[in-house]
Amino acid sequence: MNVRKTTRLLAALAIVYVAYLAAVFVVMRQPPERFGRIMRHVPLPILMVVPVQTMWNIARAGDLRVGDSAPDFNLPRSDKSGDVRLSALRGKPVVLVFGSYT
Amino acid sequence: MNALYGKYGQVASFFVVYIGEAHPSDAWQLPENLRAHVVFASPADFKERSELADICVVKLGIKVPAVVDRFDDATETAYSGWPDRLYVIDADGRVAYKSKPGPYGFKPAEMEGALKRVLARPIAARFPS
Repeated sequence: MNVRKTTRLLAALAIVYVAYLAAVFVVMRQPPERFGRIMRHVPLPILMVVPVQTMWNIARAGDLRVGDSAPDFNLPRSDKSGDVRLSALRGKPVVLVFGSYT
Repeated sequence: MNALYGKYGQVASFFVVYIGEAHPSDAWQLPENLRAHVVFASPADFKERSELADICVVKLGIKVPAVVDRFDDATETAYSGWPDRLYVIDADGRVAYKSKPGPYGFKPAEMEGALKRVLARPIAARFPS
């Protein structure tokens, strides 16, 4: 294979790879529910050639930054024993653990 | 997290914010959840989410008090909390620590370091006049 052909092939592969990364990133930027519905159809080995963690960190970075005022919430307790308002907890640090069972 | 709650529960408030499922059976079901029989469809409304939160707290023996995000996911959206994430809010209501998004970014030890730094701040800095 001559040099020009090899270069062309590599360039084509690079373009395909970048397009592929862009597609994965677009999927990662989707709201959770849509992201999950897409990912159920994606075989995981496909992600092995992608810097998943770095892209995920960027895709789900969010707008809130250290030093920002924490957005207030008033949410019911899971045991139905009342509500918790974040702004009523001033004076002590608050640790928030976001998550779900699955 | 129970251990950290036991260690710092007196000097800081701890809350689990129960949000939309990461791997419900009707979306991206994971084989490890199937093996562990943690198979739940996406809750259809707030009541179902709240019930699932309660089951989760009991089954996993979570001692940290849990609150449930409303069905519009307003709190999750404001904090970009999905699928899981840790925060430390300081005594003045400012974000002192925001973990990277889970599952990779969910690092309780890193959060503990941030919590220690917040607790070590002099009182004057914690309560500016």
